[in-house]
Amino acid sequence: MSAPPLTKFARSPRRSGESQDRRTELVLGVLACGVLALVAGMVIFVFAKAWPSFSHNGLKWFGPGGDVGAQLQAIFNSPADPANYVYLLRAWPLIYATILVTASSVALALAFAVLSAIFIVEFAPNRLRRILEPTVRLLAAVPSVIYGLIGVLVLVPLVGNHLITRAQKESVIFVVQLTGNSLLVAVIVLTIMITPIMIAIIVDALRSVPNGWKEGAAALGVNRWRVMWTIVVRSARPAIIAAAVLATARALGEAIMLAMVAGSVAFSPNPLDGPTFFLEPIQPLASTIVINAEGLTVVPFGQTLYAFAAVLLVSAAGLSLCGYAAKQPLKRYGIRA
Amino acid sequence: MEGMMPPPIRRIVVDEPATVVAAPAATSQTNGSTPSHSSPVSVTAPRRRAASLAGGIERMATHDLSILYGDKAAVKNVSLPVRQGEVLALIGPSGCGKTTLLRSLNRLVELTATASRQGRITLDGQDIDALEVTQLRRRVSMVFQQPNPFPMSVFDNVAYALREQARKRPRKSELGPAVADALQRAGLYDEVAADLAHPALRLSGGQQQRLCIARSLAAGPEVLLLDEPCSALDPGSTEIIEDLIVRLREEVAVVIVTHNLQQAYRIADHVGFMYLGELVEYGPAEQIFGSPQEQRTQEYVSGAFG
Ligand SMILES: Nc1ncnc2c1ncn2[C@@H]1O[C@H](COP(=O)(O)OP(=O)(O)O)[C@@H](O)[C@H]1O
Ligand SMILES: [Mg+2]
Repeated sequence: MSAPPLTKFARSPRRSGESQDRRTELVLGVLACGVLALVAGMVIFVFAKAWPSFSHNGLKWFGPGGDVGAQLQAIFNSPADPANYVYLLRAWPLIYATILVTASSVALALAFAVLSAIFIVEFAPNRLRRILEPTVRLLAAVPSVIYGLIGVLVLVPLVGNHLITRAQKESVIFVVQLTGNSLLVAVIVLTIMITPIMIAIIVDALRSVPNGWKEGAAALGVNRWRVMWTIVVRSARPAIIAAAVLATARALGEAIMLAMVAGSVAFSPNPLDGPTFFLEPIQPLASTIVINAEGLTVVPFGQTLYAFAAVLLVSAAGLSLCGYAAKQPLKRYGIRA
Repeated sequence: MEGMMPPPIRRIVVDEPATVVAAPAATSQTNGSTPSHSSPVSVTAPRRRAASLAGGIERMATHDLSILYGDKAAVKNVSLPVRQGEVLALIGPSGCGKTTLLRSLNRLVELTATASRQGRITLDGQDIDALEVTQLRRRVSMVFQQPNPFPMSVFDNVAYALREQARKRPRKSELGPAVADALQRAGLYDEVAADLAHPALRLSGGQQQRLCIARSLAAGPEVLLLDEPCSALDPGSTEIIEDLIVRLREEVAVVIVTHNLQQAYRIADHVGFMYLGELVEYGPAEQIFGSPQEQRTQEYVSGAFG
């Protein structure tokens, strides 16, 4: 009938709330600091490695000038004597390709994801919704190589054989070869790759908008589409920004898939070429790193690749900051970020 | 009941176990229809409204209206008129279908997937099913139990309906007067005039609810539905909103759900008492609180006052 064992158990240190809280705090604190130290270490390492490439070229590193492919080749072939290392690089075509492919696919994916999420949350019949949602989540988890494979096996030949006309090929024949590996295919595949995760995030965000706001708007005689657009999407803007930032980061860092479908020619597509613009090959920064990874042992070449990595790292950090800044004005009106 | 002690009355109070209160001493008054204890005069609060405006025209009416959730009826065979220029209060214990009845009047109940309706509802004699639902909701607007201002500025909240109704997006300066007018009618203007860009969600609860009323009024409704608008508010805000409702009835027909009987008594011209989905009794406030015809009404009214 007596309960001493129970009392004893309740008093055991494991159960005593305060000391457990303190321990949890300590462990989490150490973990968080560990992560921070890791990030800092990585940044310092990359920048230290990349420094010679930046310091030899100065700001011109980022500018246009000459053929990047040939420059990279020259760096790779530099003499073994450190005094004669070649560093000359004008990386603009790679940066331009990165911006072009990332911005286009994120813009496309954003529009597509918001509309799809609205459809899934508000308009899809229940049965369709029950199929759509798991499918989207599955697609979000597909490894990018698979998208790259499909792109290379299906889209590239399709574009190369059917979309590109002989006249188009001839019009740029002295500058670049049109094979189907192109900006167009890169943007299509990248868009398909980043859209599902955006849809998944935005669906969750739209769903978590308080029902009271939707009903309040509906009660004013606003139709469903306008309720979704003016109230629900508006209130979910922070999550939409977060989804866009995540997708942009993924697109920036996408290397293998783009190397497969975009064509490994460091070329700057020229908008003045009209429709041919979309059919010209590109080579973004991340792909350049993967394609040339075997040259890392050549010291100046390795340093140049680290410089690409450093640029990507800074862009990703800048991106997070932009996302954070974009959310700030929304907080004032009580939209939870 | 003549000559007998009346039976103890079960007090029906929302969210509380029913308690039995002592029956009133049936000494001098044994006339069941006018028991002294339930006389509204014993309530200290005075009535806010002046005498009822004389016989307003009927704007809305339900005819044998039933609402079912799945196959469970939440509202059963209710026929009820809503008149212009008066406040209609729906009273009754929690879960008796007041909110459901109110939400059916602007077809908001249709947002619930399981809900179905039987019977007819008319607005100015026209079946509301014949109206486009957005048109109906512009004419029959609703304020909810929980204040639900949008996460925007005070101005944008009130301007929301105006902007949505306009063909072409109006400029801010064009909306200014209408917004100020709606805020004024909702009795909020003086408090927020200094800063219309203030975030609505940072107002107090009472101000938020008045903002919601202003938001509804800006849409120019003919019937205003209020679902326990004061249940989440402090007494001060409640008083302001009651004043406001009494003033509003001159412009729009007002239907208010409340489980606060004193409030219903203070502001209503007509009262409907609902119990378990049925409309037990409908009549002028004086009748419902003074001399209810139905046993259940009397028990509820007196129980809550007792
Ligand atoms: N969305 C819903 N789905 C199913 N049943 C509901 C729903 N809303 C209300 N009900 C039921 O309908 C009845 C009436 O509810 P309600 O109209 O909210 O009552 P009141 O507003 O008078 O408290 C209750 O029994 C409640 O459980
Ligand atoms: Mg209710």
